[in-house]
This record gives sequence, C-alpha cells and structure tokens, in this order.
Amino acid sequence: MSDLISGGSIDLDSCIERLYRREKLAESVVEALCTKAKELLIKESNVIHIKAPVSVVGDIHGQFFDLIELFRVGGFPPNTNYLFLGDYVDRGYFSIETMTLLTCLKLRYPNRIYLVRGNHESRGISQNYGFYSECKAKYGNVNVWNCFTDMFDYLTLSVVIDDRIFCIHGGLSPNVHSIDQIKVVDRFKEIPHEGPMADLVWSDPDPEKEDFGISTRGAGYTFGAEIVKKFLHVNDMVHILRAHQLCEQGFQVLFDDRLSTVWSAPNYCYRCGNLASVLEVSATGERFFNVFDAAPENEEYRQQQEQHNTMTEYFL
Amino acid sequence: MSYRFPSHDPEPLYSFTSESLGKPTVSRNGWSVYSSKRPIMTADEIDRATARIGIPMPEMIFGKNYIVVAHESGWSLGFNAVDALDLVVKHGNPEGGLVKVAYSEAWMNDKKKTSDEVHQVVKPFDWTYTTSYQGTPAPSKVTWEPTSQSIPLDKLRRPDPILFFEEVVLFEDELGDNGIAMAEVKVRVMEERLLLLCRLFVRVDDVLFRIRDTRLFIEFEDNTILREYTVKQDSYENVKRKIPHSARDSGLFLRDANWIAEKMPVIQTVTEKSALSSS
Repeated sequence: MSDLISGGSIDLDSCIERLYRREKLAESVVEALCTKAKELLIKESNVIHIKAPVSVVGDIHGQFFDLIELFRVGGFPPNTNYLFLGDYVDRGYFSIETMTLLTCLKLRYPNRIYLVRGNHESRGISQNYGFYSECKAKYGNVNVWNCFTDMFDYLTLSVVIDDRIFCIHGGLSPNVHSIDQIKVVDRFKEIPHEGPMADLVWSDPDPEKEDFGISTRGAGYTFGAEIVKKFLHVNDMVHILRAHQLCEQGFQVLFDDRLSTVWSAPNYCYRCGNLASVLEVSATGERFFNVFDAAPENEEYRQQQEQHNTMTEYFL
Repeated sequence: MSYRFPSHDPEPLYSFTSESLGKPTVSRNGWSVYSSKRPIMTADEIDRATARIGIPMPEMIFGKNYIVVAHESGWSLGFNAVDALDLVVKHGNPEGGLVKVAYSEAWMNDKKKTSDEVHQVVKPFDWTYTTSYQGTPAPSKVTWEPTSQSIPLDKLRRPDPILFFEEVVLFEDELGDNGIAMAEVKVRVMEERLLLLCRLFVRVDDVLFRIRDTRLFIEFEDNTILREYTVKQDSYENVKRKIPHSARDSGLFLRDANWIAEKMPVIQTVTEKSALSSS
C-alpha cells in the first residue's frame, strides 16, 4: 500500500501537496479516492443549492498548468469557494492529474468545492478524446480510467447559487421546465444519448433563435431567448450560467445578460490563443469575470517535450 | 501583387497588397512564402464571417492565419480559413446526402416519444465542414490547365535540407464531440523546390472518414507549377479494421490523420499545371 493511506484513511493534505507538484499518485490511492468520492457524491442532490461568494469555473480539459494558474488568479482552496462546471478531462495532456486533484479537493473541502458533470465525464466520450489513452500511457492499464468513469456517474447535474443563478454544464432541455424535473432524474449512470440528462450536459444557446432547435448534426438541442426567459420566470431566477463552448475572450454573455458562458481553458488545445476566465459571484450577487491567460509552465513543458520531428517536416 | 484576404477591418474580405502581407518568411529565385499564425477569431470577427459566409462557423477558426506562395511576376496562391469555409455546402444536401451522427436515428425516435413541443429544424448545411478549397489565387494572374504530369515524389523524398517549414491550422471543429473536422496547411521550402499541402481531415465517429488534400509543387529552376487535388473517403468501420491487432490503444490511430490518409482509397485525383505570365 502507499504511504498516503493508513488504516483505511487517506492523507488528503499530502495527496493535494503532491498533486500541486504534478506528481502522479499510486493506482491504489486513486482507487481509494474514487471510492470515497462516490460515498460523498451519492448524498448530493441532482440540484445542489449553495451560497455565494463562489467562483465558477468552466471547461478545463486536462490543462493542469492552467488550473493552477486559475488558482493563482482566483485564490487557492479553501480560501476561495469553487464551483466547477465539468469537462475536467480529455484533450489536454494532464487529465489524470487534473481529475485526481479535483477529487482530492472535493473530499477535503466538501462544502467549498462542487463538481458538476460535463459531457466529457462519460465513458463513451473520454474513451475517444484523450483520457483513456492518457490512463493507458501513464499507468499501463485502464484501472484508473475505470475508477474515474465509475465515479463520474455520481457527479451532480446542476447547482443553484443563492436561489438566483442556475448552473449547468451545457444548457436547457425541452423536457425540463422546472428544476423539480431535474431532481427526479436517475443520474447514476452513463450519460444517455437522449433525454433531460443528455440535454443538460450537451445543449447550446442559439442567440439567433427564440425557441428550441434541433442541431444540424441530427442530434441535440439549441435553445433561444424565449426559452431562457420562460425558464428563469418559471423558476424565479435571474441568470443561467454554463460552460461547454469555447469563447475567445474567456466568456460570453447572451440574451440581455440572462445567460453567461464561462470558459477556463486558455490557449485551448495548446494552439487556439484564446483567453480564459473564472466567474466570481460575490456575496451580494454581482458577477465578475476574472480573465486570465495560459500559464507560463505550458511553454516550458512544450520546449522540454519538443523533439524535432523531421517526419512531419518531410511530409509528402 | 494583390491578394483577396479577410482583413482585421470591419469589412470581411479585402484585396490585399504585397505591403499588407508583410515581409516574406522565405524567398528563393523570385518565389516567396508569406505566413501568419495568430489566435482564433474574436466573437465580433466570427459574427462578421458568419454573416458573410452564411453558415455557423467552426468552433476554432484561425481567420488570421495564412500561407501564401507568390512569384514576383504577380502569380500567387494563398490559403486562408474564410475562403476555405466559403466552399462548404451551405444549403440543403451535399453530394451523397447530409451526414448524420451515429446515434441520430435513435435520438430522433426517442425525441418523438418524450417531448411534445414543436421544434424548428435548423437550416441544414454540411456541418462536417467538408470543403473543396484548393487555394485563393491572385485575381486574373492564375490559370490552370489539365496535365498528365504528376508531382515528382522521388525528388520530394530526397532528404534535401529544408530552408523553411511552417504549419498553420485554418479551422477546427469538434463536431459537438462527435468527431473532428480540421483544415491545416503545411509548406516546406528546399533549395530547388517547394511543396505545400492543404489538408481537410474529417472523422465522424462510427460513421466515416474524409480527406481532401491540395498539394502545390513548384520547381524553382524552370518555374514548374503543379497542383494536385485528391479526394479520399471511407467508412469508419473499414478504417478501424486496418488498425494492427497488436495495437494497445486503437484511439491513437483514429486520431492520426497521416496514418488514416494512407489507409483510405482514393476517390478522385486531379492534377493541373499553371504558368507564370510572360509579360
């Protein structure tokens, strides 16, 4: 067993300290963390009510250095309360380190850290978009991927801040008019292709539309201005906060300030050159986008890794 | 020299002069290569591009990136994202029908059962962003004619020193996490010749793969200019079957456009030649 576990309890502070240094934890420790996290998450409702002040974080996608940069900009836990809106894994180089750190922080500060499920927190997606391959490469097997994806099934679907701001990963669903309809969803499963659970993690706002639309890809919804107004009215709220879409400036506000997108992966995929932000909701309900750029460690890492690939240069 | 190009000004498309392209990154025998690598477009720029082109833009659009190959006589061929996207099928059904994600049918059926609301179906366009783009020519300076010549691969396989190499992404879309569409341009300049490759790579998970390659070859000595356009397409299943059995992680193969390009059948190849104007 690892020195991080003794008598069935995990030394979370030491885990967090090591993870801040980007050290990989032993497979047995990750397994124990996921088990503990499931025990904690199963008690959470599909709609968690929390109080401001809280800083809301959008997609991270395994960009570990940028998550640390976000903490430098917005304050390290537990000094700042955080609500993460999902898409922790895939695409970036450090999905494992990112997910392990967030799991430890959740276990250590369960009432100061909240983790919402994103569409990438699923077996189907994370098998194709990086997390699975990273687990195979860094642990030599997929046990860690299995542990984490089992844990994903327990993540909550939505959070309400001060009864006023509704937070989800993707967006609204034609099957959800009131938040009570979310509370009755059986969320402890792989994200299905269809239904309210799928829509909450997948759908996108469409500023050109009033109503719901069907994506031109043949599956998934877009939702317009009237839908947003109606939802806020029915549920007596003022704002919808979501992530899921890349914004060049790190955030985007739509529908007369009724909906915000927050994006927290700067220089997305290490090539987009975009900014990122964390949305700070104050105790009095003001919203402030704290914008930040990519962490300098990304460039150092790239230079370390760079092997002059002549095969690429001699393309045909 | 003038070159049509999306500018940073409020108006979407412009005629560009050699001054506005800046200094060439490399020059050889009267030939020059210009390139630019910048962040993705801002929301305002995307709105303008959307208005001009008339379809939703890809998630990541590098509208300020370009590679231009130009000769001092005025001949040029450039590659940029906005002109590439302008050739995506914008209305109705592209050839072979509109692609749907793998679970579309199930989704549509379930939707009928569970939701009672009437929905507007968005106007269809080719959301895979498949484009037949073969570059943006200098107006009235560039003509192409058919040729039986082909790009001399033997010369390009020689390990001649590369004086300049650049690679810029034009656009990329994750297809709502149903795959990838990516357009990328690479160029390499050697002492005696250059090769440029503009590749569109599309993967729709569990449905299909597509490649559209445009290659531009220039021999500096005699100003031979050849352009080869290749169309490849195959089903997801067929490509997947070619992954070696020993592979531990098949996902790595299905993300590797170079590996996939070699495994796919060629549907169409067209080679054309151009010449510098004699004036």
